Amino acid sequence: MQEVQNGNISAEDYVSKTIEQINNVDENLHAFLQINSEAIDNARQIDKKIKSGKNVGACFGMPISIKDNICIKDSKTTCASNMLENFIAPYDATVISKLKQQDAIFVGKTNLDEFAMGLTTEFSAFGPSRNPWNLDYVPGGSSGGSAVSVSAFECLASLGSDTGGSVRNPASFCGVVGFKPTYGLISRFGLISYANSIEQIGPIARTVKDTAFILNMIAGLDPNDNTTIDNSNQDYLLGIDSGIEGKKIGIIKEMIGEGIDSAVMSATKNAISKFQGLGAVCEEVSLDMVKYSVAAYYTITATEAGSNLARYDNLRYGYDFPVEGYEFNSYISKARRKFGPEVTRRMILGGFVPSSGHAGKYFLKALKVKQKLTQEIDQLFKKYDFLIAPTVPVLPFKIGEKIDDPVALFLVDINTVTANLTGKPAISVPFEISNGLPIGIQIFANSNDDKSLLQAARALESTVKLPEVPI
Amino acid sequence: MTKIGLEIHCQLTNLESKLFCPCKANYREYEPNTNICPICIGLPGSLPRLNQKAIEKASMIAMALNCSTPEKIAFFRKNYFYPDLPKNFQITQLNIYGDTSIGGLGYTMVGEKKIRITRVQLEEDPGRLIYEGSSSKNQTTLVDYNRAGTPLVEIVTEPDFENPKQVREFLNILSDLLQNLGVSDPSLEGAMRADANVSIEGGNKVEIKNIGSFHDLEKAIHFEITRQESLYSRNIPIVQETRHWDDRRKITISARSKEEELDYRYFLEGDIPWIRIDKDTQERLQKEMPESISSKKDRYVSKYGIPAQVADVLSSDKFYSDLFEQSHNEKNAKEIANIITTDLMGLVDTREKREQSKFTSKHLEELADAIQSGKITRNSAKNALYEIVKTGKDLTQIIAELDLGNVSDESEIEKIINEVISQEPQAVEQAKKNPQTINYLVGKVMQKTKGKADPKLTLDLLKNKIK
Amino acid sequence: MVNEQEIEIVAKLMKIEIDDHKEYIDKVHAMIDYFDILDNAGVQDEEISMKDIPLSNLREDKHIPYEDKLIERLNNYKGTYVRAPKMI
Repeated sequence: MQEVQNGNISAEDYVSKTIEQINNVDENLHAFLQINSEAIDNARQIDKKIKSGKNVGACFGMPISIKDNICIKDSKTTCASNMLENFIAPYDATVISKLKQQDAIFVGKTNLDEFAMGLTTEFSAFGPSRNPWNLDYVPGGSSGGSAVSVSAFECLASLGSDTGGSVRNPASFCGVVGFKPTYGLISRFGLISYANSIEQIGPIARTVKDTAFILNMIAGLDPNDNTTIDNSNQDYLLGIDSGIEGKKIGIIKEMIGEGIDSAVMSATKNAISKFQGLGAVCEEVSLDMVKYSVAAYYTITATEAGSNLARYDNLRYGYDFPVEGYEFNSYISKARRKFGPEVTRRMILGGFVPSSGHAGKYFLKALKVKQKLTQEIDQLFKKYDFLIAPTVPVLPFKIGEKIDDPVALFLVDINTVTANLTGKPAISVPFEISNGLPIGIQIFANSNDDKSLLQAARALESTVKLPEVPI
Repeated sequence: MTKIGLEIHCQLTNLESKLFCPCKANYREYEPNTNICPICIGLPGSLPRLNQKAIEKASMIAMALNCSTPEKIAFFRKNYFYPDLPKNFQITQLNIYGDTSIGGLGYTMVGEKKIRITRVQLEEDPGRLIYEGSSSKNQTTLVDYNRAGTPLVEIVTEPDFENPKQVREFLNILSDLLQNLGVSDPSLEGAMRADANVSIEGGNKVEIKNIGSFHDLEKAIHFEITRQESLYSRNIPIVQETRHWDDRRKITISARSKEEELDYRYFLEGDIPWIRIDKDTQERLQKEMPESISSKKDRYVSKYGIPAQVADVLSSDKFYSDLFEQSHNEKNAKEIANIITTDLMGLVDTREKREQSKFTSKHLEELADAIQSGKITRNSAKNALYEIVKTGKDLTQIIAELDLGNVSDESEIEKIINEVISQEPQAVEQAKKNPQTINYLVGKVMQKTKGKADPKLTLDLLKNKIK
Repeated sequence: MVNEQEIEIVAKLMKIEIDDHKEYIDKVHAMIDYFDILDNAGVQDEEISMKDIPLSNLREDKHIPYEDKLIERLNNYKGTYVRAPKMI
């Protein structure tokens, strides 16, 4: 941005190159569902503003991609679902308004698992995205398209959403930085809800500093979202190079247990050495409830999703399907056949687990596990500044490999859902490449400690020099 | 032994905005679907924004019903599909994780009978459905979301009512209470709706829904009691079920058992944190609450010596008590109370009449003054009142225009008295024998003077003449 | 274990139609069976609570009309009503 500000390059130039890159690579990668045809024009307008000495927003025409479950006014917002194939959002999400005000440029909407339900972007109704490190492999999910677009230089940064790891997981699989803030730090107004009690919008970028920059643009109290918190206008870039000398770090042993890939384990051990080299003290800790966190997570999210997606009955918006001749119940059921198979399964789960016939067995127990997990992690944060674990216990896998085994797929989430269930901030930092596939290390901090978390991430990042992505 | 319980829904029509968005709370003036926004029609990505005043007013209702008011309240989702429900769930309140509704156990008195309140909760109203097309083949349902999101307070009572008359009295008391608190205008169409449950002889409870008006409510309860008594007398067991009031046939019919099967999958509303209403805030709300009806009534009786029945009428109608409060002083309180509850009442007994009335508390003060000082008679005052309500003109102006001023000139009255005496010889004879009947002659003089003759003076002069 | 009939009832409740019952039911079964693990968590005595905010943080009671003619952006409307299928 400084380059653009100083006039060394023009916003139009930079954005044009970005669009060119998209045109070059996206046919293979399929990160984007829509590309903004006015992006270059918008960049031109910003250049005019700069030349005329007018006030220009801090983004200076920075090209950003947006996950297609975040509303941009007058743009199609599909959630990668046939149910919303023609939905045009009549308003901007708060994060979009804020970025617009700062003169960011949206180059397009990115692919996701349908309604953000998934880990691989294979559940998109419009086809999967591909990992730029190896096109046969999944990019992670649900914000797969966002991570791919950043990794493949199709934009400078992206906004995704993280319900159970959906920003951190694809960031790890694609070798970029993915950040999930403290619950309530970023407004969800305009984010199409999947599991509203635990999800957050999160920035994805190539460096920790870029991530902090985006956070500065979009964090803060929003009257349009009653769950947002006051962050007293923190500057997340200030002091980001402070380092972690003397900090205490806990290694969550339940997240490096059996089932972890040997390459991932080795990378984790390397990361621990790096942290120690930076002056931190690392020791193993236990978070017992992690064992139950995946079951709790899927129970809670199925319940909330079942309710959040109930509004899609095609009566007020959706796709073309006239109501004549139908009776209410049969129309709705027929209309909702447009949901993909994963969403359909979650709807059934979501009707089942909170039902009064099974009162106490599933949903209520899941809530209690969530609470106990929060208490346990709060206890740990009394002693430790940060907690760490690999972001995903396995390496990226091939497209189609895990799609038929729902429970195996669930368990890919085991290291990430804890941050969502407890509301704590967490970040995935790209750390190693193993056999051409990226491995990310995850750092957790206590609620509202997002600033320190970014400092720890920056410190780890400074010890790493990764190869270029092979596209 | 009959037991009746009620579930009443009251719209907070006096609020400016809906419960979760800034659209207008009172939707009645709007063309269909013009009082909507992304939040109240549940557009993807929209989030609820809770209305602070709605919580405060609902809290006051709970306090006025002597309910316990918890320090933390929560909202829940009630999930079901219906075209008038834009999100296909309703945001409401429940007590499944402790007491988190705005009002807990309370009570109110209906005469000597104590009616216990189970809970008071805040929730959003759905939209409205209109059915179009006659045959079931071409029928469509039209939906208007203007009402969706309007703040509702639901009041649930224990089955303490013994008969429909008590129910009616309670609803009147509740109506007055809501109006007095300034939270709602119950006379607006649809602003207050009620469902009932009925059981007899300790038997099963039957719920009655789909009742359009309070008038229908009484009928429905009557019918249901009769129906149950008839079954009981024939030893047929009464099924616990939900029945609908069929307004056309004036009977209750069994609702399809689908109602029972519905599983609402209640869970906490994640978009709204729990709201803290601490002791200090509750005390402030208590202080800000308008004076209760019973307190006003007691005050009118004890401080101003206003008769109980008059005080009753005055205190239970906010329109009248407001007029009274603004215009009275120690001296004229009784007179003002009298004017309001006798002559004024007939002129402003409906909402339309009140909206059009130009009568103010200033007029009232002047009128009371004029009567007490003898400037005009009570009779003239009645005529003046009519004019003021219609035109809002100053009292002095009206007295002049309509020539309502007292006739207190002795010679004038004497002249009229002589006229009357010559015209009514029989009555004069009567009066000589029976002094009580002189009032007939006084009346005649009043007639001739269009009520402007000073009655006391007239009486004295007449008495002298007849002697 | 969860039987096919229960899943049918739930699908109706959620207004979801399933064609290939076996495939769905198997997968949903597997998911629900996995959730049984929650029984071992030992959390029966936990009481539910949530973050709270003071009354003063809430929105002021003001009427602000929404400028856009929203109804024109929605489906299925007639005049200015939204059309729904007939109710039985």
